[in-house]
Amino acid sequence: MKIVQSVNALFLKEFIFSFFLALRYFFSPKKTINYPFEKGHLSPRFRGEHALLRYPNGEERCIACKLCEAVCPAQAITIEAGPRCDDGTRRTLRYDIDMVKCIYCGFCQEACPVDAIVEGPNFEFAVETREELYYNKEKLLSNGDKWGDAISRNIALDSSYR
Amino acid sequence: MPRLIIDGQEIEVPKGITVLQACEMLGAEIPRFCFHERLSIAGNCRMCLVEQVGLSKLQPSCALSVDDLRPGNDGSPVKIRTNSRKVREARQGVMQFLLINHPLDCPICDQGGECDLQDQAMAYGVEKSRFHENKRAVEDRDIGPLVKTIMTRCIHCTRCIRFMTEVAGVAELGAIGRGEDMEIVTYLEQGMTSELQGNVIDLCPVGALTSRPYAFKARPWELSRTESIDVMDAVGSNIRVDTRGREVMRVLPRLNEGVNEEWISDKTRFSWDGLRLQRLDRPYIRKDGKLFSASWQDAFAAIACCAERTFANRIGAIAGDMASAEEMFAFKDLMVRLGVKSIDCRQDGTSLHPDLGRSTYLFNPTIEGIRHADSLLLIGTNPRLEASILNTRIRKRFLEGGFPIAVAGGVPDSSADLTYDYKYLGSNASLLEDIASGSHEFCCVLEASSHPMIMVGQGALRRPDGRALLVLAAQIAQRFGALSASWNGFSVLHTAASRVAGLDLGLVPYEGGHDVPSMVNAARKGALDLLFLLSADELDMSSLGAAFVVYIGSHGDAGASRADVILPGAAYTEKSGIYVNTEGRVQLAHRAIFPPGEAREDWSILRALSTVLGQTLPYDCLESLQEAMYASAPHLSEFDQIRSESARQVEALAALPVSELDSAPLGSAISDFYLSNPIARASAVMADLSFREKSRREAAGQSDA
Amino acid sequence: MHDFYPHNVERVSVLLVAFQSVLILVSLLVLIAFLLYADRKVWAAVQLRRGPNVVGPFGLLQSFADLLKFALKEPVIPSGANKFVFLLAPLVMSISALSAWAVIPFSEGWVISDLNVGILYIFAMSSLGVYGVILGGWASNSKYAFLGALRSAAQMVSYEVSIGLVIISVLLCVGSLNLTEIIQAQRTGLAVWLGLPWLSFLNWFWLPLFPLFIIFFISALSETNRPPFDLPEAESELVAGFMVEYSSTPYLLFMLGEYVAIVMMCALTTILFLGGWLPLLDIAPLNWVPGIVWFILKLWLVFFMFAIVKAFVPRYRYDQLMRLGWKVFLPLSLLMLFIVAGVRQYMLLPA
Repeated sequence: MKIVQSVNALFLKEFIFSFFLALRYFFSPKKTINYPFEKGHLSPRFRGEHALLRYPNGEERCIACKLCEAVCPAQAITIEAGPRCDDGTRRTLRYDIDMVKCIYCGFCQEACPVDAIVEGPNFEFAVETREELYYNKEKLLSNGDKWGDAISRNIALDSSYR
Repeated sequence: MPRLIIDGQEIEVPKGITVLQACEMLGAEIPRFCFHERLSIAGNCRMCLVEQVGLSKLQPSCALSVDDLRPGNDGSPVKIRTNSRKVREARQGVMQFLLINHPLDCPICDQGGECDLQDQAMAYGVEKSRFHENKRAVEDRDIGPLVKTIMTRCIHCTRCIRFMTEVAGVAELGAIGRGEDMEIVTYLEQGMTSELQGNVIDLCPVGALTSRPYAFKARPWELSRTESIDVMDAVGSNIRVDTRGREVMRVLPRLNEGVNEEWISDKTRFSWDGLRLQRLDRPYIRKDGKLFSASWQDAFAAIACCAERTFANRIGAIAGDMASAEEMFAFKDLMVRLGVKSIDCRQDGTSLHPDLGRSTYLFNPTIEGIRHADSLLLIGTNPRLEASILNTRIRKRFLEGGFPIAVAGGVPDSSADLTYDYKYLGSNASLLEDIASGSHEFCCVLEASSHPMIMVGQGALRRPDGRALLVLAAQIAQRFGALSASWNGFSVLHTAASRVAGLDLGLVPYEGGHDVPSMVNAARKGALDLLFLLSADELDMSSLGAAFVVYIGSHGDAGASRADVILPGAAYTEKSGIYVNTEGRVQLAHRAIFPPGEAREDWSILRALSTVLGQTLPYDCLESLQEAMYASAPHLSEFDQIRSESARQVEALAALPVSELDSAPLGSAISDFYLSNPIARASAVMADLSFREKSRREAAGQSDA
Repeated sequence: MHDFYPHNVERVSVLLVAFQSVLILVSLLVLIAFLLYADRKVWAAVQLRRGPNVVGPFGLLQSFADLLKFALKEPVIPSGANKFVFLLAPLVMSISALSAWAVIPFSEGWVISDLNVGILYIFAMSSLGVYGVILGGWASNSKYAFLGALRSAAQMVSYEVSIGLVIISVLLCVGSLNLTEIIQAQRTGLAVWLGLPWLSFLNWFWLPLFPLFIIFFISALSETNRPPFDLPEAESELVAGFMVEYSSTPYLLFMLGEYVAIVMMCALTTILFLGGWLPLLDIAPLNWVPGIVWFILKLWLVFFMFAIVKAFVPRYRYDQLMRLGWKVFLPLSLLMLFIVAGVRQYMLLPA
């Protein structure tokens, strides 16, 4: 044993093997992607930035049931509900998500009975100040308008597994 | 005593109860929608089905009296099964039928989270709907500003109808149509007028009737609950204050068989928006006729400056109607230390006095004891307005029959609806002399009854001849046997939540001091220079002359607008405190939220003020204040107890001479039910209700004319 | 003393030397810029990454961007530092590393100073680098920097011993300290003996002195603080070692000095063992290629080895490092020295 070890050590066996191993990796295809220009595959279930969706007629889906607020384990959602001024329907007066508190667990979209709050495919919402990450209803609705198509595509893709 | 075997357990139950109640006595849970302990039995929801062994059909346990159960041929007790497969399947079937027409809109329903149907669907619901036809939709009715209707959700349990008819005593709700087409309506598309209508919100097992002011505001799981005591009237209803963050979101009743059962009046339930409006949240000082906000130091300095220049005999102190016992005790303590003799808690000038004995100012039969009375004489009171919850007890006793009621004053004429039949004797005070002397026609009714009840209200007692009326009432009570060892039918109905505690603590003028009317008089004449008002708003503020008024209180009401210095205090939800209701029951209210802005709890304001005035009060926390108070009034430490008082005090009262009576008609102490205190006056909901009530009355007056 | 100087020294004007120096300096720096890039690329490639690829085509200008960044940053000098020594240290390091290049022959006759004691000069200059390390570590007034400097100095000294012995062995084979002559000596060797003179790569010293070649390569890694012997700047324990307090241009100078030393070692390996500018095969199209190309190619090859070693060998512990230097390489190289000397003496083989 000792002799074999010594011979191996003398002839740098492990180093030579690892040199060829390194060479094999050197020529193998790279795993990283050129991020801002290339993007990796996203599952339809990806849970990224939140959005509040609307119905096709433009009416907001959210009915202020507060289930998302109740289920949120990080208590990142704050809702104030009340009757809407013009028609008295149950709506949120405030819908705030603290994106800094949020742990992106997706419970809110699971809890939502009307598919109003969803986590969209967008993960590039880095901002320069903390305040910008305190999303209000306006921001969430505009996210919904911006990402609505992608989100509905994802929901359609995932629907057969639900 | 019938015996029956429920789920294999044998039990002996009192006669007359239902099988459902018998099952509950054994702890077997029976689901129900229509059944309610305090309402008549309807038996229409069919959720409470149980199996009676031997019968092929299931029985609705709520409508099945234990008296009607026939024992077996060998005399063996009836066997009831509450959880057999058959029963469970039947309940599942009932649930399916209920859900056929119940919309699945729990997410937008305010009942969500505290809904009987939701809860029971968790237990008896079937996973999948087998109903593919169109659901029923029902038009919503506008039944007033308090109760919001979403009638599609109604499951026709008729609890609301039964409550309004039986307890509230106004048949304003009813059902039209049958089967699927049945609808709960107010018949003529008019709003409900009852002062107890809010209770149907609690009664409704689904979200068909919900609170309109609270609509969509909060979910039950967001609210923190605090047990408290209502101060809108002197009944001391047990309430639960639901808060979210720093706001009171709603007020709900708590069960207390001795006081409010499980009802509260609309003023109690809906005046919470008054807790946010018109609040005093920082001290103010009046300069050149205008109030300017100031720091606590400046406000105290202004008071101290005035107090230094004033002799104690030119200082007055008045405690208001919603003060807790603790702050009144501290108030009195401070004033006594300052040498003030003019101390009073009787804002309305009522002639009750603690020196006459405690039973001369209590509602001696107790609220629960009303059911033992067998005749009733109301003197100068309208209990429906002054103590709505107490009025339901009178109605409850009335419905049992054999309860003649006579009314002397308090209501303008015999057309007033007190929710029970009564004999209107007139509103002239002299008729009491007739009764007392035995020459009145109602005397024979009183004579015939073994437990007569004489109820005297503040409408009589606050009059200048109030003392004479009080003596007359005592004489009537004595004459007709209301002052026996087992029954004290002499009952004083208070309207102020703080009054009994104030009298217990002796907040009445000392020798040489002024009472409230003479304090106001003295102030007008310039004989009183400094007046402390502890949340006292029911005075004639315009006739206080040039006196320097210090107002300690929570709302910008009459007192604050007259005050020279305002010290912002806490409303009843913002402080822990003891209240004694009209029957002498000591009850503890807990703090639900903190006072807004710079406002502080009243006792701590008084404590801070005492240091500034050089007479530091010897307690630094509420507990030590309570200790000091218990030392001077030990019965205040006996929570939820009524210390029984001797009827001899009333007999002594009856022996006092009766002075000349006033010829003015006897009125009620409350003219507008919805605006009787600063919190209610600040409330938008109460203002709306008051306006509706007034326009209704005007419309009625016009149609009469 | 006369023998120390090249025989043509009188004919070379000062201007020409200055021109040649600048030319070498510039091309060396450009070469280093791309070597740095290559270093990062190789390392990244083994780790299946892409490495720098944003600045310029394929990220080729990354090093220049880094240079700009370093040059434009604010130099921070610790308040407790000895300012003069602190700034002197990187200068010592980089200048000593750069000046060694004066005697490197890039091709036949392409050398600024064809010094007769060239190898001795290089050895002296590269040893001077340790002063820069010691000065920098001490002047920083930081315990991490000082520890790094101590480690670095000990390490460099330890491995210089075996490097020296390896060089002596080579010199025994050549019989001259002149680098050009060392290369020329590799024109004949095993291939000539075998009668296959065109297989010229067999003539080079790497084959007869193979163990010494390996020892020299590994010692060179250690001498230049390259992984797996980068203990002076082991990130996991000393952050950046003796350079921890440096920033901006002084830091750049340190880095530059280090890389110049690395390339120096690559060049030395090329010269001592890989036949310098000599073509791989002495046949028609290959021996037309200019010597400088061969030299650079060989230098790149050695550098590639330097770079890839970084990727696949884990860092040595300090005691392992010392054991390797003193207990393995020193006896081995001494033994080889005796063997080479013996062979030269008794077997009268040509160099």
